[in-house]
Amino acid sequence: MSVSPRLPPQPLPEGQLERELAYYRRECNALGARLLRLQEEQSVAFREARRSRTVAKLIREAYRLADQGASPEDLAEPMLGIVVDSAMCDRAALLREEPRGSERFHLTHALGLGGDALGRDFTVPSPPPFFFTTSRTRIEPPAYELTGILRLPYILWAYDEATGIALILGNQSESNVSRPFEEGDQELVEGALSVYIDVLLRKQAEVELRLAKGMAEEASSARSRFLATLTHELRTPLNGIIGFSEMMTADSGYALSNREREDYNGHILSSARHLLALINEILDYSSLARRGATLTPYWFPIASLVAESVGAAQGSATEREVSVSAGELPANLSIRVDRTRFRQVLDNLLSNAIRFTPPGGRVQLSARLLAPGQGLQIEVRDTGIGMRPEDVPRALEPFQQLDSPLNRASAGTGLGLPIAKGLVEAHGGTLDIRSALGEGTSVLVTLPSDCLRQEDAAPQE
Amino acid sequence: MIRVAYHRHGDAAVTAQRCAAALDGVSPRLVLAFCGGKLPGEAVLEALRLALGPVPVVGGAAAGVIAHAGSGYSGLELALAAFGPDDPLPTVLVEDLDPDERSGGRALGARIRAVAAPDAVVLLLFDSVAQRVPLRLHPASMVVEGLEEGLEGHPVRLVGGGLLTDMNLSDGWVFDGEGVRRHAAIALVFPPEVVLDTAILHGCRPVSTFMEITRIDGAEVYELDGQPALGVIERMLGLSLGEARGQELSLIATLGQKQGDPFAPYDENSYVNRLILQANPETGSVTLFEPDFALGAQVQIMARDNSLMLDSARNGVASLQGSLQDPDSLLGLYIDCAGRGSARSGAPVEEAAVVLAGVPPGLPFLGFYSGVEVAPFEGYSRPLDWTGVLAVLRRRPA
Repeated sequence: MSVSPRLPPQPLPEGQLERELAYYRRECNALGARLLRLQEEQSVAFREARRSRTVAKLIREAYRLADQGASPEDLAEPMLGIVVDSAMCDRAALLREEPRGSERFHLTHALGLGGDALGRDFTVPSPPPFFFTTSRTRIEPPAYELTGILRLPYILWAYDEATGIALILGNQSESNVSRPFEEGDQELVEGALSVYIDVLLRKQAEVELRLAKGMAEEASSARSRFLATLTHELRTPLNGIIGFSEMMTADSGYALSNREREDYNGHILSSARHLLALINEILDYSSLARRGATLTPYWFPIASLVAESVGAAQGSATEREVSVSAGELPANLSIRVDRTRFRQVLDNLLSNAIRFTPPGGRVQLSARLLAPGQGLQIEVRDTGIGMRPEDVPRALEPFQQLDSPLNRASAGTGLGLPIAKGLVEAHGGTLDIRSALGEGTSVLVTLPSDCLRQEDAAPQE
Repeated sequence: MIRVAYHRHGDAAVTAQRCAAALDGVSPRLVLAFCGGKLPGEAVLEALRLALGPVPVVGGAAAGVIAHAGSGYSGLELALAAFGPDDPLPTVLVEDLDPDERSGGRALGARIRAVAAPDAVVLLLFDSVAQRVPLRLHPASMVVEGLEEGLEGHPVRLVGGGLLTDMNLSDGWVFDGEGVRRHAAIALVFPPEVVLDTAILHGCRPVSTFMEITRIDGAEVYELDGQPALGVIERMLGLSLGEARGQELSLIATLGQKQGDPFAPYDENSYVNRLILQANPETGSVTLFEPDFALGAQVQIMARDNSLMLDSARNGVASLQGSLQDPDSLLGLYIDCAGRGSARSGAPVEEAAVVLAGVPPGLPFLGFYSGVEVAPFEGYSRPLDWTGVLAVLRRRPA
């Protein structure tokens, strides 16, 4: 095997190094450019893929809200957060058309817009269900109005005519992060809006259902309590009637004297009257609770109504050694009430006050005009046993006579206050109780100002 | 122990309250806060003070935040680092960047010199947007140059970043310890017991031969190798960059200047990259983020490379494991260029998630998406673009 002699390095042809350098430079730049473009294409593909995942992500995140404990009112802000996060936009807002079909939109929630924007109203003529602007959009309706909402040039809008709710998102610029909006974004914005409405309605339905369930449970429990108390209240006088009647029969075995017969007869009569009063009030309360009171209001001087009620209460007050009187009243004032029903209110309140005031105490019925436009306040104040503030709500429930040393001695039906409250409310007023244990009670009836008139302006009945 | 809290919510007050609540009852002496740009800074501050008392809050807007408890760049995130009674407390210094960044930096440098121990760790934060229309940034290079002048050779370990409200460079602001402020630079000067370890995470690769900058004015590069710079870049991309796409250029290519031997093998750590802020078809020029490239500089067109970026993130975190795992470490800090978020870069996974995966869960960790990053590099600190600066603050070993 022969070995070739090693040749000395040959000098390069003139200019070869320069040509070679130019070649490698050209190739380097060409390959670099190709790499750059491939890299950018790959980035674009990833960004597009990311965008295509946006709708799915948004819907998934938004539906998660439905499983959280948020109330319907608390849904909007997290929803806007999800929209902004998913769509990578600068601002977003929810609007509600009020009233529906008016083309006036109230901005209810916003993100990235500053607090001063909340509550503002915008008119959007013929609001489109879907709209967007780009750098090529001409600023004419509705682009002009819609870009004004977010104060941004590039917006994406969806409006649900059925509910009047609209969603708008926007960007300050168009770039590859805040990319230009396009037709394909209809899926995004309408998807977000429909998910929001869906979750909102679901939450509202949940709340209504919970409320209805609570009310049904309360009604059921109240009915049970009512029936139990009613049974007890009806049995007591009935037992009296039956017991005394049996004792008065010929074969009862009791040898009753005439005086005893007279006494027993008196007991039967009083129990029967109590029973009648009880049944009347039960019917009254039941009718009020079922369909409210049917009123026939006319104008009456308040002074005469007060005088009549105070006069009627004098008998029982004297019997219980309680003083009852009319206090200060606005001069020449007439009130527009159903006379019979309003007398019932005053009579009930006075009767209650007298019953729970020990001998020597005082009961006063007075009235005063509140600030202009605030109506009239009628007050029945006693110096009686009073009650603890926490017991006040119970006092307004049927048959909830509170434990007191005077209870048994002051037999009432336990329906007086609830009936009075129902009747006052039927007149458009309110009934409140202020009380302190051992210091007395004040029942405040407020009538609205449209029930009041100076006597000289009142029509004559 | 420094405590870090994170929360994300559309209501600034709720976000701040929940963040404050997550501090586990610690009464901070100083709060470092990074706040998404859709949350009004004033409202955040008010809620923080309501919850934490009259504590100084420094930091500012962030295009996004990064923490163990959560990360994101929706603009609704807030992250706090609370310095408690036992934590080394930095001295806070603030200077205006008006009338110009260099003199602001110089004044800040002089004040740092007065309080900083030799080699003290200094965290520099400033709002990046100088003017919105037309867009102009506060050049970090001018701030840092001024700061170096003010330091007069006093050695410090400078790390920091520019603050933005979002990835679109819309705005920026700082919390200066008292309120919300624009056009200001803040320096947190740490006591000598604190030392700093850093790793700079890159992700760009040269795709051209060396080109000479033959005409430049500040940040405006007019010519490369005697040809209009925009034309050179357009030919590389095979694209025509009109005004509408000018901003996108920042996401595609950068100009890189290799440090040291230009013909040494490729090393990502050898490059200083400058993002392209905008293309200007009328003048055939491109505007860089920083005005620190000089006439005659040899530069290369660099391509962002998402795979390289993720590799760099993994390698950078791995290189700092010793510090990250050190029981004397106080705080991990990550200053991450906003362009590296996957919404901008198009990376298949979040680079910040890669970093987080390498940080021990027990180490308080706070990061933010920035407009520019500043880190020690080649012996002195300088501004960097399209990097992630991972920093670990540790107690100096006894």
